[in-house]
Amino acid sequence: MMVKCVIWDLDNTLLSGVYLESGTQPPAADPAMLAVLRQLRARGIIHAIATKNPAEAARYAARVTGMEFAAAECGWGRKSDAVRRIIAELGLAADAAAFVDDDLYERAEVSLAVPEALVLSPEDMADAVGWPEFSPATVTAEAGRRGEMYAERRRRQEEARAFAGSRDEFLRYCGTRVTIAPAREEDAPRLHELSVRTHQFNTTGEAVAEAALRALIASPAHEVTAVRVSDRFGDDGLVGACIVDLGGGVWGHGVRGVPGEAECPPEASTERGQGEWTVTLLMMSCRAMGRGVIEALLAWLARSAARGGAHALAVPCLVTPRNVPLRLALAAAGFRAPETPELPSAEDVARYCRALSLTTLPALPGWSSAPGEP
Amino acid sequence: VSRAGTQEIVGELREILARATGREELLGTSDETPLFGAGVGLDSLSGVMLLREVRRRYGVDVAAEDLNLDALATLGTLAAFIKDRSS
Repeated sequence: MMVKCVIWDLDNTLLSGVYLESGTQPPAADPAMLAVLRQLRARGIIHAIATKNPAEAARYAARVTGMEFAAAECGWGRKSDAVRRIIAELGLAADAAAFVDDDLYERAEVSLAVPEALVLSPEDMADAVGWPEFSPATVTAEAGRRGEMYAERRRRQEEARAFAGSRDEFLRYCGTRVTIAPAREEDAPRLHELSVRTHQFNTTGEAVAEAALRALIASPAHEVTAVRVSDRFGDDGLVGACIVDLGGGVWGHGVRGVPGEAECPPEASTERGQGEWTVTLLMMSCRAMGRGVIEALLAWLARSAARGGAHALAVPCLVTPRNVPLRLALAAAGFRAPETPELPSAEDVARYCRALSLTTLPALPGWSSAPGEP
Repeated sequence: VSRAGTQEIVGELREILARATGREELLGTSDETPLFGAGVGLDSLSGVMLLREVRRRYGVDVAAEDLNLDALATLGTLAAFIKDRSS
């Protein structure tokens, strides 16, 4: 599991001393940990602070390290609660977080309460920069800006909390722009990165190699589509993608024997691949959650499929506790999977499907632009 | 929880929903108002917060038991789903 965020203790961890016991001159940044911070930032891993100190300690740490921290929890409650709040605020899965603290008791408390997180001492952390958990294969433009994007996101969320009105009104107020377009070859590294890093919005949970993505982008039998989002708080770049098998494909879950698989609607079974589009991969960064991106993509897919002559759009989707947000988006967009006598156990694939007709096309949200749309 | 009636659960869910979305006007959601689509406009973010709070308060993991999340059709269906499993 790739670590996306490192949550740092300050006293005797990120700082070479104790903040409140240092009189007028607070302690300097620990040189070894500062080197780790910089290295990880360059790989697109973000940083946060969990410290039993007043809030000014976090501001001091940001100044003395020259880093932008995506979140900071200062106070005297349990460290595990601070870690959980940071994970929730940043929209991370718990196993995408690492926690570094010099205090054995704090490490034990966090490992017990948040068992999914990687818990490390500062000495371990110095080694861990070489571990695969901290080593993404490529660093894309989006990854290099990740720390800033989380700061933009924090400002966006603060305004959202103060905003009176619906989510759609807020998205318009932010000047949200969702841009859907055919993926280009140069998008392959970022698409690969998304396939590795996305879990809450990912239908397959499988990494797709860059070479495979280049082949799919070039393939006439597939349509690879990239989605970007920006607003007046910042530009998040490429945040999502989908791959459509235009018929009789040879790749992805959509063509594997799915237990209990049923065509949708049932009468379509004779012309599979003709009348039905299959989305073999749908993925989106959790950073784009709540910003109208997945809604725009699903609406556009349904519209394109219907205009392409399909009568159904199928999205085979792994059923796991991790991608519940994606299942919510599918349910909201009118997709259903055939019920099976037994509930799908974790890691089964359900074929979510939506019938299409040219007379009842879903509207494309006003903040999006896409091929074939005015 | 086990003694709570469906209507009582609907009342609690209404408050959870208003808090999850930060929209006070949703305190006026009836037990038959569709949660998906125009009006309430439940999405991934508010949906996850609602499901998380339901699991915390009633011990019912809707997503694990309901493939199509039909329980989320309305506050009434969600309350019935919860009552079924917690009594």
